[in-house]
Amino acid sequence: MEYQEYQLRETAAKLLEEEKANVVIGYGLSKTGKVVPVFITRPEDAQKLVWNSECHQNLVVFLTRPEVKRLGKPAIVVKPCDARAIVVLANESQIMRHEVYVIGMVCEGVNEDQGRPSSRCAICYGHYPQNVDQVIGEAEDAPKDLSKEERRKTGKYQRIEEIKALPPDERLAYWKREFSRCVRCYACRQSCPLCYCNRCVADKNRPARIPTSASLQGNFAWNILRAFHLAGRCVSCGACSAACPAGIDLNLINLTLANAAEEQFDHLSGTKVGALPLIGTFSESDKEDFIR
Amino acid sequence: MAKIGVFTCWCGENIARHIDVERVSKAIESLPGVHCSMNYKYMCSEPGQSLIIDQIKSLGLTGVVVASCSPHMHLKTFRAAAQLAGVNPYMVEMANIREQCSWVHADKEEATAKAIELIRISVEKLRHNRPLQPISVPITKKALVIGGGVAGIQAALDIAAAGHEVILVEKEPSVGGKMAGLSETFPTLDCSQCILTPRMVEVNQHPKIRLMTYSEVEKVEGYIGNFSVTIRQKARYVDVNKCTGCGTCWNGCPNKRIPNSFDFNLGNRTAIYIPFPQAVPARPVIDSSRCIHFKNGKCGICEKNCAAGAINFNDEDKLITEEVGAVVVATGYQLYSIGKEQSNPNLSGYGEYGYGKYKDVIDSLQFERLISASGPTGGEPKRPSDGRVPQKIVFIQCVGSRDNAKGVSYCSKICCMYTAKHTMLYKHKVHDGEAHVFYMDIRSGGKKYDEFVRRAIEQDGALYHRGRVSKITEEEIDGVRKLVVRGADTLTGKPVTVEADMVVLACAMAPTDGATALAQKLSVGYDEYGFLSESHPKLRPVETNSAGVFLCGACQGPKDIPESVAQASAAAAKVLVMFSQDHLTREPEIAHVDESLCAACCACVQACPYEAISIEEIVDRKGNHVKNTSRVNPGLCMGCGTCVAVCPSKSIDLEGFTEEEVYAEIESLLS
Amino acid sequence: MEKTNTDQTFEPKIIAFVCNWCTYLGADLAGTNRLEYPANIRIIRLPCTGRIDFNLVIKAFEVGADAVLVSGCHPGDCHYNAGNYHARRRWILFRELLEVLGIETERIHFSWISAAEGAKFQKFVTEIVDKTRALGPYRGYQSITHESEER
Repeated sequence: MEYQEYQLRETAAKLLEEEKANVVIGYGLSKTGKVVPVFITRPEDAQKLVWNSECHQNLVVFLTRPEVKRLGKPAIVVKPCDARAIVVLANESQIMRHEVYVIGMVCEGVNEDQGRPSSRCAICYGHYPQNVDQVIGEAEDAPKDLSKEERRKTGKYQRIEEIKALPPDERLAYWKREFSRCVRCYACRQSCPLCYCNRCVADKNRPARIPTSASLQGNFAWNILRAFHLAGRCVSCGACSAACPAGIDLNLINLTLANAAEEQFDHLSGTKVGALPLIGTFSESDKEDFIR
Repeated sequence: MAKIGVFTCWCGENIARHIDVERVSKAIESLPGVHCSMNYKYMCSEPGQSLIIDQIKSLGLTGVVVASCSPHMHLKTFRAAAQLAGVNPYMVEMANIREQCSWVHADKEEATAKAIELIRISVEKLRHNRPLQPISVPITKKALVIGGGVAGIQAALDIAAAGHEVILVEKEPSVGGKMAGLSETFPTLDCSQCILTPRMVEVNQHPKIRLMTYSEVEKVEGYIGNFSVTIRQKARYVDVNKCTGCGTCWNGCPNKRIPNSFDFNLGNRTAIYIPFPQAVPARPVIDSSRCIHFKNGKCGICEKNCAAGAINFNDEDKLITEEVGAVVVATGYQLYSIGKEQSNPNLSGYGEYGYGKYKDVIDSLQFERLISASGPTGGEPKRPSDGRVPQKIVFIQCVGSRDNAKGVSYCSKICCMYTAKHTMLYKHKVHDGEAHVFYMDIRSGGKKYDEFVRRAIEQDGALYHRGRVSKITEEEIDGVRKLVVRGADTLTGKPVTVEADMVVLACAMAPTDGATALAQKLSVGYDEYGFLSESHPKLRPVETNSAGVFLCGACQGPKDIPESVAQASAAAAKVLVMFSQDHLTREPEIAHVDESLCAACCACVQACPYEAISIEEIVDRKGNHVKNTSRVNPGLCMGCGTCVAVCPSKSIDLEGFTEEEVYAEIESLLS
Repeated sequence: MEKTNTDQTFEPKIIAFVCNWCTYLGADLAGTNRLEYPANIRIIRLPCTGRIDFNLVIKAFEVGADAVLVSGCHPGDCHYNAGNYHARRRWILFRELLEVLGIETERIHFSWISAAEGAKFQKFVTEIVDKTRALGPYRGYQSITHESEER
């Protein structure tokens, strides 16, 4: 990991020196020693970049921010899960892929605060970054791609199965308990690399699709909307769950839809460059058993 | 402030018997925005409409709800009435309290309560409606006709006769289509070429028609009134302007044994050829896949012989772009393939009939060529294997048609008639010959059609057996190869075996191979077999759901010559209706984008069934990129609203069914 | 359609979103043929099933619907060529979402009803009303709404 960090700094300095990038979006340390996003624009500052097990945040969210765009051509440090968001952003024409230099880190898992393993690692697709411009780290011992079966063994999927096994009223009661804690801070939206709308429908009031106050009804409506807008798009990076101050495991809902997309449409978001959106396309042979 | 008038109709007793209209009017009066609420016996009648108009004028109403029948019945009527009184027609809503209330609910209490709610939905929607202006689209008064068979020729001639330019595109080297290859036509037995060739010549000579043979439509862009079509003119290797059609080239071509597809491979042609002697234009093409010059650079006899210097071995495909206002599709049909090899995995073919294995088992279009005076045998019915005149022919109907198990489920409609014709033509030429027909039913609806079939049976002595053929084998009997046809006659209940010299299969009609690809380019729907879909089976039979695109002939479904011609003239008439105006008025109920909010994620671009949405760049005054946005082409959008449902930020909305309007409708139902 | 608290007199409230060209006309045909069905259904006419966003279904529950019906043209018959195919794909995914959240999918009905299927419309609506009557008021979603009001 230390060698990875060294390589990362070297790479970043070189990219900036050669003006292959004007800004390197990566991880650094705050004054209190916490891992935070940094935006390196000078080669000599490349030494400020860090790579350790606390680098859990998905930095891809910054690529579509106007204030970051103004810094010039970006290079970005990504984990394998984050890299899939870049693929989706490019597929949805939010970034020109060739205008972003993607540094993929081989990742063996990260922690959220206090050394707690990040919930995103419970839905890992593989430790080796795909569709990036450069890979940093040893490739030999890093599994390239986890098979569907291997991924299904992780805790998250089991949690979904547990919830699904409950009777409907208990399922609803579970989510009522969860969503009653939601304060509608929209940290989930802010942290999501794929929530890039110029104005979210939740903020529109003609018509008001979602009651603006943090009522249970509004919280349900918001979370349904958020989840469904990510259907076939969410790359399971787990940023939403990590960001939620109320500790709601929002990613569980997204993951349910991601499962359905994979099972029914063989669609695994962020793994295919040039893939068309799942919602917005169709096949005449789409299978269902509920339409009468 | 909205000033809404609600007009509840009794529809005589149709509504008033099951709904207490007086109570409805009273209950509606107090709704927000409602300024007046009245009822009348017949709102759609002259006095009823006058009542609405008077109320609008005297009270200064801004919108109208008519609670009566289905909007499909009278929305246009009431919109027109409102417009007369100076109210925007899109500020009129209807509450369907007849079809969806008084006619289906017997309990007067329940029906009255529901009627009130239905009106409340409409009032709430109307409070959120915006006045809309019809969209005006300029029209390019030039038509594209795709397919130069009898239908395409008819459509082109009719449009040109009205003084408009037409581009007629045909993929083969000559116009004429399937009809040019037919012998005589039912039920009059007039010669097909005698009636068709003058029309073929006419399309070539008409000053308003640009005939493009050996060409195919490559790309279609744009929308009704404003299509931009790219046409691929395939390399002909002959300069049609220099060529005089003298025939020296094809007469001198040494490569003479190439199966001629126009004769369905029963006859031969040369490498430089015209498909048939009466071809229009009478200008040859070189089949580069078979020409010796293209193989080894030698030969070149045609080039040496051509006095006009028209041969050009360096010719290349050309792409030509044309602007047209309307498109008529007339791509016709081909026969369902009988062999085991099927492009559609649901079809299995009829291996047991030995088509392709036995030379003397042929299909009906091949038989047409065999008995055509201009065919490979000069009209003598000679069997392909040894040239003998067959003494017994078995005709099998419904090969592929009406067979869910192995073929297609539909009836091909023309086979009963042409099979009867085949038996007649054969008997007229071979007086002592036997013509056996195996059939399922005889379907001979049409003017003088049944009489024709009766004539074949009663006067010309065709032998009809009601039943299917199970197997055909080739056997040598008395030194002659015979086809032993084993079938059943279900009327006598006995098996029938015929030792025939030839078998003719009346295969199902199928759309031509490229039809569905073309349909996709034009955004025209098609059914599971690839027949193109008309807009409405009864009331809009030649229109499609893609505005400005019309259909005629067998590309839409199996049909005979008179029907194809009638449909072609109908399609031409529809084009001419369009061309009678300088501008086209389109319904304004289409999608529009809030470009300041669109993030250009392209979901709508993908979802639009009409390719009406594109991504455009917004630049500032200095030309710097500001952002990308999606934009709706108002000429192409048909107003389905699929884009709205897939747009995450709802930056796209559908006029007439906006988010605000629909939410208002739902919220009016809050309990 | 007043909703009462006692289930014996419970009249389900059913909101239907239908396309203009098939199911709406099918409902009209049921009327033309005088095919009687319960008066519990309120139809909201949209151009195409492609336009029917999942948000509308949620909104219907928010205003107190006990069941929702979404209906349009049969596959291959869409007036707009493909709107119903788009809708079908969205519903397949949307049901998965509702399933995990515990929103009763037996209260959301989907169907293809053509302009010629007046009888199917009548039968289907009758079935839905009977079924919803048996299920009782949708207290599940209504409890979300009511708890919001109590706060």
